[in-house]
This record gives sequence, structure tokens and C-alpha cells, in this order.
Amino acid sequence: MNNTISLTLLHLAFCFTLVSFTPISALELHGTGANMVETTCQKTPFYNLCVSALKSDPRSSDADVAGLAQIGTDKLKAKATATLRQITALLKVAKDPKLKMALRDCADYYNAIVKYDIPVAVEAVTKGDPKFGVEGATDAANEADACGRGFKNQPKFPIYASNKVVHDLSAVVASIVQLLL
Amino acid sequence: MADISPLLPVSSSDGSSDLTGQATCRRPIKVVVSIFFGLLTVGLFAALLIRNNGSVDYVDVHENERGSLASMAFEKAENLKPVSRGLAAGVSEKSNWVFGGDLPDYPWNNSMLSWQRTAFHFQPEKNWMNDPNGPLFYKGWYHLFYQYNPNAAVWGHIVWGHAVSKDLIHWLHLPLAMAADQWYDKNGVWTGSATILHDGKIVMLYTGSTTEGVQVQNLAYPADQYDPLLVHWVKYPRNPVLVPPPGIGPNDFRDPTTAWLTSEGKWRITIGSKINKTGIALVYDTKDFINYEMLDGLLHAVPGTGMWECVDFFPVSETENNGLETSINGPGVKHVVKASLDDDRHDYYAIGTYNDRNGTWIPDRPNIDVGIGLRYDYGIYYAAKTFYDQNKKRRVLWGWIGESDSEAADVKKGWASVQSIPRTILFDKKTGTHLLQWPVEEIDSLRLKGKEFNQVRIQAGSVVPLDIDSATQLDIIAEFKIDSDALEKATGSSDASFDCATSGGAAERGALGPFGLLVLADERLREQTPVYFYMTKGSDGNLKTFFCNDQSRSSKASDVDKHIYGSLVPVLRGENLSIRILVDHSIIESFGQGGRTVITSRVYPTKVIYGAAKVFLFNNATELNVTASLKIWQMNSAFIQPYPNL
Repeated sequence: MNNTISLTLLHLAFCFTLVSFTPISALELHGTGANMVETTCQKTPFYNLCVSALKSDPRSSDADVAGLAQIGTDKLKAKATATLRQITALLKVAKDPKLKMALRDCADYYNAIVKYDIPVAVEAVTKGDPKFGVEGATDAANEADACGRGFKNQPKFPIYASNKVVHDLSAVVASIVQLLL
Repeated sequence: MADISPLLPVSSSDGSSDLTGQATCRRPIKVVVSIFFGLLTVGLFAALLIRNNGSVDYVDVHENERGSLASMAFEKAENLKPVSRGLAAGVSEKSNWVFGGDLPDYPWNNSMLSWQRTAFHFQPEKNWMNDPNGPLFYKGWYHLFYQYNPNAAVWGHIVWGHAVSKDLIHWLHLPLAMAADQWYDKNGVWTGSATILHDGKIVMLYTGSTTEGVQVQNLAYPADQYDPLLVHWVKYPRNPVLVPPPGIGPNDFRDPTTAWLTSEGKWRITIGSKINKTGIALVYDTKDFINYEMLDGLLHAVPGTGMWECVDFFPVSETENNGLETSINGPGVKHVVKASLDDDRHDYYAIGTYNDRNGTWIPDRPNIDVGIGLRYDYGIYYAAKTFYDQNKKRRVLWGWIGESDSEAADVKKGWASVQSIPRTILFDKKTGTHLLQWPVEEIDSLRLKGKEFNQVRIQAGSVVPLDIDSATQLDIIAEFKIDSDALEKATGSSDASFDCATSGGAAERGALGPFGLLVLADERLREQTPVYFYMTKGSDGNLKTFFCNDQSRSSKASDVDKHIYGSLVPVLRGENLSIRILVDHSIIESFGQGGRTVITSRVYPTKVIYGAAKVFLFNNATELNVTASLKIWQMNSAFIQPYPNL
């Protein structure tokens, strides 16, 4: 019995030692870093997407709102670039002329998102005139929306999910940048 | 991160000698406890690892779609909601596009896009423009500088563009005045204003965004004061002259105004900022534009209005019909404070009284204070700035008109934004509460042939075509007479909550409205932009008149703004209702009641372009007949082009 108790205490001691040696970031699961992400994401229209997108970047653990905005735009850029690649790949093999047309329009929209909308948002946040960032991110959302509407009369919408993520994430970024005004 | 695996408890190491030979009933407890804490430790360890390296991909439902057609999951297209959080959330119109619903997306072709370019509004040959900067008159030329992106049709890499004109209408492009070539403006050569000193020399104060992204104020002046074109500019070698003061954020300090003289003979400027959500205007005095003393107090502040951009401060005469030089003060003079609100992208002004001794200003009517009351313009209009035109003794107002189509379309057409036609600005003696804006008289020189229509009767529920040739470059001046009998007979409603923005537009029929003009429309009314009055009668018998611009059916395209703009317009006893509209391709500037209420909008039709565009009178009221008299002129192009042989 004594041995059990001492063993238990020893293990407890080990655990507490372990905990006290852990880097701050692990503790911040319940600390200030995560709170900043959560409170910021609460002000966006897609909370879950916002939280998972921001938290997937280690920088978010001690970022301020401007930092979170930059992380958000980075994620958006990656997703939009990937979606553009998807569209290009689909265009190569598509045979149906209506599908091709819808895909080509989406390629135009995504070119605008990657080449213009997102860089404008990044520049606006880093240079300190965030209202242009809200506009850039909002435009990206609207362009993703326009891409989606091109498939309204199509039986299939192959990039539905990626496009939705780009749209929703753009809306999230716009909301975060709005907080900087 | 410390490697703590040696600290991981090994259940056999400590108690093994004790464990051997133990009765079976005790062994399980020890094992369970050991295993429990062992797992706890391992769990914490693992959590640590994942936390630090974690790049778990967030939502990527169809990751396998990339390049893999066979495993694609096909989904029926769903109408994604456009980003709409409403103007209450303080977002620009662009973020709240009202989509056409069932209308197909309209792919823009070159014909539609090239039609959009204006003929007599100032715009650079290509790329992006925003705020007007440092307007002034000097040695026979009007100067306009402007925020410009030399690289793309979207905002970014901002430098100062420059153009000159003899008459505020025919502009000639000059080389860029200032580039982002110093550490103190590397991240942006932003908005600023000019001051003309006693000896006629010019100083320019402007905001620079430094290499660290901090907003500072810099001094610049013409390289050669004898060059009437002021082509080259020199930056003061020891810029910046002002940095954000204590308590002001590094991104909340921009757009210095033209300076005015204090009674002590010092120059005084104001710079907009914010403290939390209170918009404020800081005040600085200077003798040399190099050294400044910040006043303890603020010029003014209004809670809840957010950041004040492009603040403007100027005197207006209560009695005279001319503009006042910026330093004028005294009896019969009121002062206007204007701010561009970052939060909602609108320009607001208020009229009040300036106290020179302590550098403060109080609004005449605090309930319509800066940011919560009157706007220069109820459409797309921002970052406006006035200057005193000593040539014609008037105060002239410039305003930036952005696009309300998609950035993708802007990129496709290769340009974005125009400036408004410059407007004179005067105190409205009749109401005492409003400013009057009116296109500068030089615009009349663009009028070609005109056509008069007298006493055209528009019955309730009718549309009357106006037979003019082309209808994409027009100056329309219209007056509307209403039966006063009909006004008296109309029953007052206690539901006096009409608002242009939330109404059903020109299609919503009321007893006393809407009636007005349809521009950029055709007979089939496939696309139309109504500019109109809507009158309401309260239960107390009081009439209210609204002036609106309805974009909801202005274009078949679904990626353009479709809001309805407008506001209440004061109409005094005995006044007829009047509208002036300048139509210039994709821009419409509408002036109600001599400029008491102004609405600028951008219109992007797909069908009603070139020869297909026409103008109509309309009356969609149910109980009112209206009589209209109007003059319509075709407008010439202003042939805005580069300055020859420079």
C-alpha cells in the first residue's frame, strides 16, 4: 500500500515536472493565444473554418489581430492557388463546351483573386490602410461566388467544395481585416 | 524543447523488486496506477509534439480531387451566399451586392467594357486611382494630384499622379509628381494638401507610410517655383516633420489639411485620427511647416464614428455667393468640418463655429454632427477635398468616385476609378443647414446641341420617351411641377419610415412617388437607372421628399452593385422640384434641389450602351400627375490626354 502511494506520488511528480517544462504554446490551448483566435473568429461569419484555418498556423498562438489577418490571407492565397490549379487541370480534360465555358470563367475569376484581390489585401494590412484589405477580400468572396453561379445550370460542379472554402475563407479574412479599421 | 523521455516512468524500474512475490490482489492496483500516469505522461508529451508541429489540414473535404478525376465527388451547384453583412456593420457597398437571383452571370466583352470609360470626367489613361490630392490654382493652371497605382487596376504601390488644366475640365496628364523613393514614404505616398504662403510659394504636406508601415507627415515643395506646370517636386531632406504623437496609433495618423492662419499669425493644420472608436481631429500650429506644436485639445471628436480620414476644414459665407479663402474668419462666417469615415466609406460634413483661440469647433446641430448627419453625396463618393480657387473666388470640391463592379472586371478593362466633376460649394442660405454643391460652370462649355421639352404631362403610372439622339453623354436640367391639390388630398400615413435604400426602388408605387427620369434605359426597359423623387405625407400632414437613384435594374450583369442610394432632400415652400443629371457613360452625377442632396453612382449596363441608350420621364405614383420641363444637352468629350511635347 505504501509502495502504491509512493509510486502514485512519484508519477504525479513526474507529470507535474513534465507540465512545468512544457513550452508556453502547449499551455495556451487554454491561454491568451487561443483566446485571441477564438474571440476574433467569433466576429467572422464562419467560426469553425476560421478557427481551424488560423490555428493550423503556429504563428497564430501569439499573433495580434493584424497578424491573424496576415495568416488568414496566407491561407486564402494557398487555397485559391490550389483551386486555380484544379480548374486548369479540369479544363485540359473537359469535353462539354458548357462545362469548359464555366471553367474558363472561373479561371478568370481565380486569376483575379490570386493576382489582385489577395495581394491588395496583404498590402493593405501590412502598409496600414485596412479598408482596401476589406475590399480585396470581399471581392475575392464575390468572385468565388460568381464562379459558383456559372455552374448553376450545370449538372455537375466539380470544384464546389474548394470554391466554397475560398468563398468562406475570403469572407472570414474580410471580417478580420474589418476589425483593424 | 527538452528531451524528457528519460523521465518517462518505467513501471518496472522502481518497484519491481517490491513487486515480485506480491499477492496478486495488490499488483493490479500498482499496474493500473502506473499505466494511468504513464499514459497521462505520454499523452501530455504527445500533445506537446502535435501542438508544436501541427499542420493538420483544416477543412479540405475533397483533397483527393486534385488531379484525380476518377475519385471526384460531384455536387450540384449551390447558390453560395454573397458576403452580406449589411451597411450597419460598416462595410462598403461593394461588400453587399444584391444579386439578380435568376439572372445569369454576364461575361463582360470588350465592347461593354470600353464603353464604360468616361468622356469628360478626370481619369488617368489606365490603372488605379483613388483620393484627390493637393488641388490648387497657380500661375494660370489648375493642378490636380491623385493617389495612383502605376502597376495595376487595383489599389497598391501608391504614388502621386499629376494633371493640369486651364478650366477644371480639359486636363493634361503630367509625369508622376512623387514616387515612393524615401524610407518615410516607401510603403505609400499617401494623401496630402497644398498651402499657398504669403509670398505665393507652395508647400505640400502629405502622409507617408514608412518602411515600418508607420504613418508620418512629410513636407514637399516644387523644385522650380517659376515652372507653372510644377512638374518636379522636392521632398524636405529632414522628413518626416510629424510622427504619431503619444496615444495615437501608428496607423491612425494621416491626410493633413491645407493650413490656415491663426490670429497670432501662425499656420494651423488638422489631421484626422481615432481613439478607440471615437473619430478625432488633431490640431498643430507651425511657423515654418517644419517645426510643429500640437494643441492640447482636439478640433473636434465624435464617439462611435471610427477613424477620420481626409479631414477637411474650411470657412463658408452665410451671406455671399462666393467662396472664402481658408484663413477667413469673423462675423457672417461659418466653418465646415468634414471627415471621410473609414468604417463606412462615406464623406460626412457638419456646419458650425470655430474658436480660433483654442483651436476648437462646435457643430450648430450636434444631432447631425460629423459622421452622424449629412453627407456630401449619397452614392459612391469618398476622400473628398476642397481648395480655394483664388482665380474665380470660389471654393471647389473634388471627390473620388470608385468602381462598383468587380475587381476582375476592373482588371479586364485595365482601369479603375474616376474623379467627380469639380463642384463649387456654398452655404445654403435658404435652409441654413445644408451645403450646396454644383458642377463648376466651365462644364457648360462642353454642351453641344440642346433640346427643350416644355410642360410635358406625365400621368400617374406612365413612361414618356424623350427624343434625343445619343444618350450616353448628357447634361439634363429638369423641373417638376406637382398638383398641389393632389398633395392636399393625399392621406397622411403614420408609417413615415421611407428610406431610399430599403425601399423597392422605382418599382415601388406610392401615392406621391416615385417620379423622375430614367437614364441609360431603352424602350423595353431591359436595363434602366431611375433618378427620382419620392414624397411621403406624415399623419401630421407634413410632406417629406426623398431623392433617390435606383441601381437595382441598372444592368443585367449580376456582379455589379445594385443598391438604391439616396436621402431626404429639403424642399421649401414655393420651390419646384428640380434635378440636374450629368450622364457620362458609366458615371451618373445627380443634383437635387440645386445641389442640396447629391447622388453619384456607377452604372454598368450590358445592353443599353452606345446607340441603344435613351432617356425617359416616368411617373410611377398612384395619385399624382406631374408636369416636367427640361433641357437636355449632348456633351462633348473633354479630350483628356497627356501634355504634348513635354
